[in-house]
Amino acid sequence: MKISEVIRSLNTEVVQGQFEDTELEGAYTSDLLSDVMANAKSAGALITIQAHKNTVAVATLVNISLIIICNSRPIPEDMIEAAREEGVAIIRTSENQFMTSGRLFNLLGCR
Amino acid sequence: MLADLHNHSCLSPCGSLDLSPRVLVEQAAKKGIEILALTDHNTVANGSAFKKLCARYHIIPLFGMEATTREEVHVLCLFDTLEQALGWGEQVYALLPPIPNDPERLGDQVIVNEDDEIEGEVDVYLGSALDLGLDEIGPLVESAGGLVIPAHVDRPAFSMTSQLGFVSPGPWSALECVRLPPAVDTLGYPLITGSDAHYPEHVGRRSFDLPVSAEQCSEAKAHGRISLSVIRTALSNCPRS
Repeated sequence: MKISEVIRSLNTEVVQGQFEDTELEGAYTSDLLSDVMANAKSAGALITIQAHKNTVAVATLVNISLIIICNSRPIPEDMIEAAREEGVAIIRTSENQFMTSGRLFNLLGCR
Repeated sequence: MLADLHNHSCLSPCGSLDLSPRVLVEQAAKKGIEILALTDHNTVANGSAFKKLCARYHIIPLFGMEATTREEVHVLCLFDTLEQALGWGEQVYALLPPIPNDPERLGDQVIVNEDDEIEGEVDVYLGSALDLGLDEIGPLVESAGGLVIPAHVDRPAFSMTSQLGFVSPGPWSALECVRLPPAVDTLGYPLITGSDAHYPEHVGRRSFDLPVSAEQCSEAKAHGRISLSVIRTALSNCPRS
């Protein structure tokens, strides 16, 4: 499924919308960036509450092209700026990581 | 005495290449800072240049690092001698995951001398979390001869409050805050501020007054060094709210 289709289906706020609309192969859910760096192998999407610039840097290392910020966490301007430069999409939801992971699990047809 | 215990150099991947130890110490001298610590992420490798520069500018140095625990909580580890700090640095290096640095994406990690000449690079990414828990780091640093101060406890990233949700008790000599009074419960620990300088213009932006007696102050200045026990006592006399 394309990033744009996932964003449409989740029907949530787009915080950073300049990205290459590639196919999402999977997702990784974690709030520890060191864990994302070590274990999220070409994950596609990252579901997290860590809304800061470093999240974008780590995302680019493991081919994450969509960051989903949960629990309506505030997103600092320098994070949005970094994501725009790297072409990483950011969306934000009021739901938590469990609910968001479940929705993505179904959308991507994981079994 | 005007002190600043949290500063990076060009060795930290997120630190500006313009913030060499020389620039850091020069700027600190301009700001009237009397006690200065260099605390790069998970490394002490620019400590030698820092020591020479502090002697040149008559600033009293503390050595150490800003360590990243397994929970991704940043903790300042401080020593009064470079040798002890380097010993701690070796222990920490063994606890870093073998993830190589990608300077293009994560930033340069350059070791420089006192004249800003590049002497090497650290290959392993220094922004990683150590294989060491928050409850383990205090006793380890103390047995290496140092003291620990959890960094920017009121910041929404890489702090006890962002990673655990609260300030957790431990053998902390003080807690570093971005703003005083902090918006979080600090459990009655002594509170300080630190500049967390990553760019030359950050140096001295949040220095604090360390309550050292006049006698201890003149002794420290005469010898160009201050013992950690004096620092510990002075920190315990910092405001707690």
